[in-house]
Amino acid sequence: MKIKSDVLRTYQTIHTWTGITAGLLLFIGFFAGSLTMFSNAIDDWATPPDYQLQQIRPELHNELLNQVFADYPETVKNVTISYESNSSPIYWYGSGSARGFSLDDKMWHGTLDENGQLVTELKHVNELSMLVDYLHRSAGIVGEIGHDQAGVYILGIAAFLYFIALMSGLIFLLPSLVKSFFALRKEKGANRFWLDSHNLVGIASLPFHIIIAITVVVFSFHDLFYSGLSQVYGNKPLFGGEDKHHEVRYELEDLPTLNEIHAKVAQYAPGFSILSINFRGLTGEHPSASISIVNDKSFMRGPHNDFLFMNPYTLEIDTSSVTNGNGQQGIWGAVVTTFFGLHFGSYGGELGRWLYFIMGLGGAFLFYSGNLIWLEKRRKKQSTEQSKSSHFMANLTAGVCLGCAIGIAGAFAASKWLMLGDWNINVAYMWVYYALFLTSILTAFKFGAARFSIFGFYGLAALCLMIPITSLIGFIPQTGIWLPTSASDYGVEIGSIGFAIASMLAAKKVKKRVYEGEKNSIWYCSKYTSEQPSASLA
Amino acid sequence: MNCKKIEPHWWGKTLAGIFAGFFLSIGIVGIFAWLGPDGLTQQITEEQRLWKTQFNMWIITPIWLLILSFVYLFKTSRQAWTWLGGAACTSLIIIAILREML
Repeated sequence: MKIKSDVLRTYQTIHTWTGITAGLLLFIGFFAGSLTMFSNAIDDWATPPDYQLQQIRPELHNELLNQVFADYPETVKNVTISYESNSSPIYWYGSGSARGFSLDDKMWHGTLDENGQLVTELKHVNELSMLVDYLHRSAGIVGEIGHDQAGVYILGIAAFLYFIALMSGLIFLLPSLVKSFFALRKEKGANRFWLDSHNLVGIASLPFHIIIAITVVVFSFHDLFYSGLSQVYGNKPLFGGEDKHHEVRYELEDLPTLNEIHAKVAQYAPGFSILSINFRGLTGEHPSASISIVNDKSFMRGPHNDFLFMNPYTLEIDTSSVTNGNGQQGIWGAVVTTFFGLHFGSYGGELGRWLYFIMGLGGAFLFYSGNLIWLEKRRKKQSTEQSKSSHFMANLTAGVCLGCAIGIAGAFAASKWLMLGDWNINVAYMWVYYALFLTSILTAFKFGAARFSIFGFYGLAALCLMIPITSLIGFIPQTGIWLPTSASDYGVEIGSIGFAIASMLAAKKVKKRVYEGEKNSIWYCSKYTSEQPSASLA
Repeated sequence: MNCKKIEPHWWGKTLAGIFAGFFLSIGIVGIFAWLGPDGLTQQITEEQRLWKTQFNMWIITPIWLLILSFVYLFKTSRQAWTWLGGAACTSLIIIAILREML
């Protein structure tokens, strides 16, 4: 395919600059994002077996709900019934809420004891996956703008650059695409190899990346778009009907039983089972029940489930993400829910999660390798002295990418120990993550990217190994450390061993390159620090 | 077609893509929202409106992103502003007329 040379040059420049500005932010987003595919398993692993209260037989939930309404009248505003085996059967927020990001959330858990008496406990919400999700959505950038974290908007802007980088990369790759798509030229030197694999991963997962870029922009800036639309709509409403709602007040004793709600859901979405029911505003003007439902055989729209909204008194279904013809979502609803599903990767069961996990890591690799290619291109091939900007970018790349992985691994390794203390565990996770992340960046700048990469990878491997070793301590009685019990618990342990092996291998490779590789490279160090001139500066 | 090379004009073109591009995307989606299927003049149920509005909001992004990606194909930033700005103004005028008439 022939493209004019000035177009190629233009888009090559665009690709370089969009990539270099957004790459590191996107690395954190993708690395953490690929881990969020297993957030349920992670929380399961990080939660002591006795943390959740005993789940009860499904037919007892109605009795439990009524007892909670009687003893804790404020729950009519917001309470959730859960049928999941590893969750308390009923819970509600003591402080904080499901919306927004807060480290201070406290949750009431309730269950029935064997005599049918209500038992409740107030606990901090321990969600290790919340740390991962927070990094995924904000890249760890601190601060808040409006009702969202500042990092969400910054990643939104990064997503613009990311989309432009995808398009420009595609444009200037097109002419040589057919020739060199599957070529991985190892013999032409490390630079060629990085470039070929960067192109291969980029092209092979292009549709995935386009979807991610578009959805991230929407997730970050939907408020802006809705306010733009409302101008266009004029006096037509964005949402809601044009006819007035009848003001009806419902009384709590008129609330249908859970069985009736189950029957209605089964009729609307056959084949789905109910995970949880969240009741809101039961004595207010707009009572609602949002119901999480799952069916492994269908395309899912949320990260973990489909949903269905109904009026819990009249059992009228407002809408649902299940578009099976029983509602009026039409083609529009199908497209919108598909966008969500394609971002969350929740449509293919376990296999789909693994695929998204791999493509997420592939994305992280794309940004990391992009930076490496930039560095290789700019290095002076005839000199051991490399420019300050090259060193700065190399240090930053190694520090941020490895630092993010080290920080997350550290939080996982510390998790079971932190549960032993009497503090807010979510705050503790943050301290562990940021301490390790910032130390990594400082170390990278102190010792230079080359040396830092070696012990950075060894450190990462050590932290990853700490995770299963900590769990092994659970064999010793009275330590307060618990053993893995479920398949997903073992998955986390095996996964961390996998990461440990991968970083050991990477450490070996890096070591070879640093000490024995080409000398005119920012990655070269002589074995002795005294002979090392400028790498520690920059 | 003149054969002049593409001038860089990074800032001018980028800003044209961001601002003119944004209003043009809103304009295109707006015309679709008024005249397209299940449009604003038709009687639709609350549930249909819920999803149609979300759909309209979603498609702003891909249109805007494509404009931003290809704005650099304009030879100069003046051309980018003229074409994108002109198209954006036209689309918004059409919407203003639609809002008045329908």
